[in-house]
Amino acid sequence: MISEGKRIRILLSKVGLDGHDRGIKLVASILREAGMEVVYLGKLQSPEGIIQAAIQEDVDVIGVSCLTGEHLSLVPDIVESIRRNNLRMPLIVGGIVPREDIPQLKNIGVAAVFTSGSTSVEIVKCIKDLVHNPETRRV
Amino acid sequence: MDINAKEIEQAYLEKPRRLKTSSGIPVKEVYSADDIKDIDNAKDTGKPGEFPFTRGIHPDMYRGKLWTKRQQWGHGSAEDTNKGLKLLISQGSTGVSLYRDLPTALGIDPDHPMARGEVNAVGTSLCCIDDMKVATDGLPLDKLSISILCASCPAIVLLSQYIATAEERGIDRAKLRGQLTNDPLVGYFCYCKEANPPELGIKISTDIIEYCTKSMPLWNPMYVSAFYNWREAGALTAPQEIAFGFSVALAFIEGALQRGINIDIIAPRASIYAQAGIDFFEEIAKLRTMRRMWAKLMKERFGAKDPRSWRLRIAIQTTGSDLVAQQPLNNIIRIAYQQLAAVLGGVQSITSSTYTEPICLPTKEAHMSALRSMQILAYETGVPLVADPLGGSYYIEYLTTEIEKQATKILNDIENRGGIIKAIKSGWVEAEFEKSILQHQKEVESKERTIVGVNAYTSPPEEDVLPGGVLRVAAHSEQEQIAKIKKFKQSRDDSKVREAIRELRGGAEMGEKENLISYIIKAVKARATLEEIMGTIREAYGYSYDPLNMRTSPF
Repeated sequence: MISEGKRIRILLSKVGLDGHDRGIKLVASILREAGMEVVYLGKLQSPEGIIQAAIQEDVDVIGVSCLTGEHLSLVPDIVESIRRNNLRMPLIVGGIVPREDIPQLKNIGVAAVFTSGSTSVEIVKCIKDLVHNPETRRV
Repeated sequence: MDINAKEIEQAYLEKPRRLKTSSGIPVKEVYSADDIKDIDNAKDTGKPGEFPFTRGIHPDMYRGKLWTKRQQWGHGSAEDTNKGLKLLISQGSTGVSLYRDLPTALGIDPDHPMARGEVNAVGTSLCCIDDMKVATDGLPLDKLSISILCASCPAIVLLSQYIATAEERGIDRAKLRGQLTNDPLVGYFCYCKEANPPELGIKISTDIIEYCTKSMPLWNPMYVSAFYNWREAGALTAPQEIAFGFSVALAFIEGALQRGINIDIIAPRASIYAQAGIDFFEEIAKLRTMRRMWAKLMKERFGAKDPRSWRLRIAIQTTGSDLVAQQPLNNIIRIAYQQLAAVLGGVQSITSSTYTEPICLPTKEAHMSALRSMQILAYETGVPLVADPLGGSYYIEYLTTEIEKQATKILNDIENRGGIIKAIKSGWVEAEFEKSILQHQKEVESKERTIVGVNAYTSPPEEDVLPGGVLRVAAHSEQEQIAKIKKFKQSRDDSKVREAIRELRGGAEMGEKENLISYIIKAVKARATLEEIMGTIREAYGYSYDPLNMRTSPF
């Protein structure tokens, strides 16, 4: 658990080959405006690459964006890698995720899912809660 | 349910909140002759079919030919895609678009480690000639108008696969009708920088233009999709869409001119892939502005003399990002307005995004709804009977000129930065887009922009149901394609592949002016794969075989 005063560090990344980055860049701007330190990894990242970066950057939260189906194919690999590496940071998924897939993602350990129409306030609050209340973490 | 008297009164007296266009152009309550007094009718507007084609590229517009209703398909296996294309055609899609999956867009084969989860997912895998043959099986390639969508360097291989497929079926390439998004700068900016180095992109784009203008008279080899793709990526205003799109088109034109191709050979075969968004009048005006600016650029800057060079043909995809996941059936209405704007703007074809866009790939029901909506527009409303029916409207003419002024300013700014490639490399383009995106979000969250179902008139998410459910690509599709490609590689004559690849490498090493398409067609016919062909070209040009640096050349 980190103290209320410390700046939250979050790693944001695309996963797989999906190039839609308007959403994640927006989220990066929103989180920076909210005072967080954002490490944006960019496009074309593999699940293992994201986890290695998260370890090196020592972040509090990981956020991945996928708009072309990677939430079912690649997000489980990220979760698996978090477990394998014994990491404690929560994983958030954003992008195009059909509503009916959200319970499945939460079951495997994704802490939160944000789809289009989510507001800055919701996203910022969720990340703060996750960092400051470790019991809400799932992975 | 609580009824609040004050809210009822406020609702009764409701009025628009935002008194400007989506792009931020202030809008007055009424427009009159005063607002358009500076417009020179002969120079700026003219008649439909006449310079500068503001009012449309044909005198009779849709009475001569309706716009092409061009729905797009590509997901699942080549067999699935073939069935999808045939379904669309049987239901009245008068052209089709074939869409590639993401590994194809990057020029990597389905068995590449980074292709996992992406094969046949949001497009179809077009790795080898067999894929193209199956995807287009039973389609009359000498009659059908097709768009092949792959705005990245591997587009040159897909075109070659299409030509090789036709030739193996005994169809002359001169009879092939359609276009492919010849726009590797979109690939550079939107998909993968490493797979689309700009210098290689310009060379490839020029090869396609040169080859098609010589031997494929019905094929449109310069089809620039930066308009659509970059507006989705962050060029969020109408003037930005025009300016960034034209800056990309100009880069390709300059490339082709440097090869020694005459402007009057290039320009008549050019077209653009642009948006029709939700701000109705602004989008109509924007389409008119695009034609006016193109005509002036071609005639005045490039000295084009053939009137066909001055006519800009516009293909539309209705804007996907205007559609929302909440209350998804409302998207049907948004799409209808977008389609109407496109038609009143005088475009040549429409690919419609569908109501499932913010949730999943288009279901059959969603495709049919988008297509039927266009058919109602074409046959029930009477809209297509008159060319540019809004021409002369004080408001539309004012907006057309205002958008031109703003777009010209941004285009000049890009050119002063040394052109679009330098502007991207300096980080300026990305920064501009990020500003626009954040600004837009703030306007939505402050409710300055009302989006029904998102920040107003909301309903519980569990009420949002898609008829026909969510479309999913079968999980086994990827494994089957990987197995198919392995078998394909085992069953081919290796010596033929090696010979064709050696010749391709030799051609690529001869320098920029050596057109590579004949070599690529030969390699495709020898059963070389997409990655093998692109990798060989990349190596000859000094780049790594694999843009993602995980594999090396087997040759």
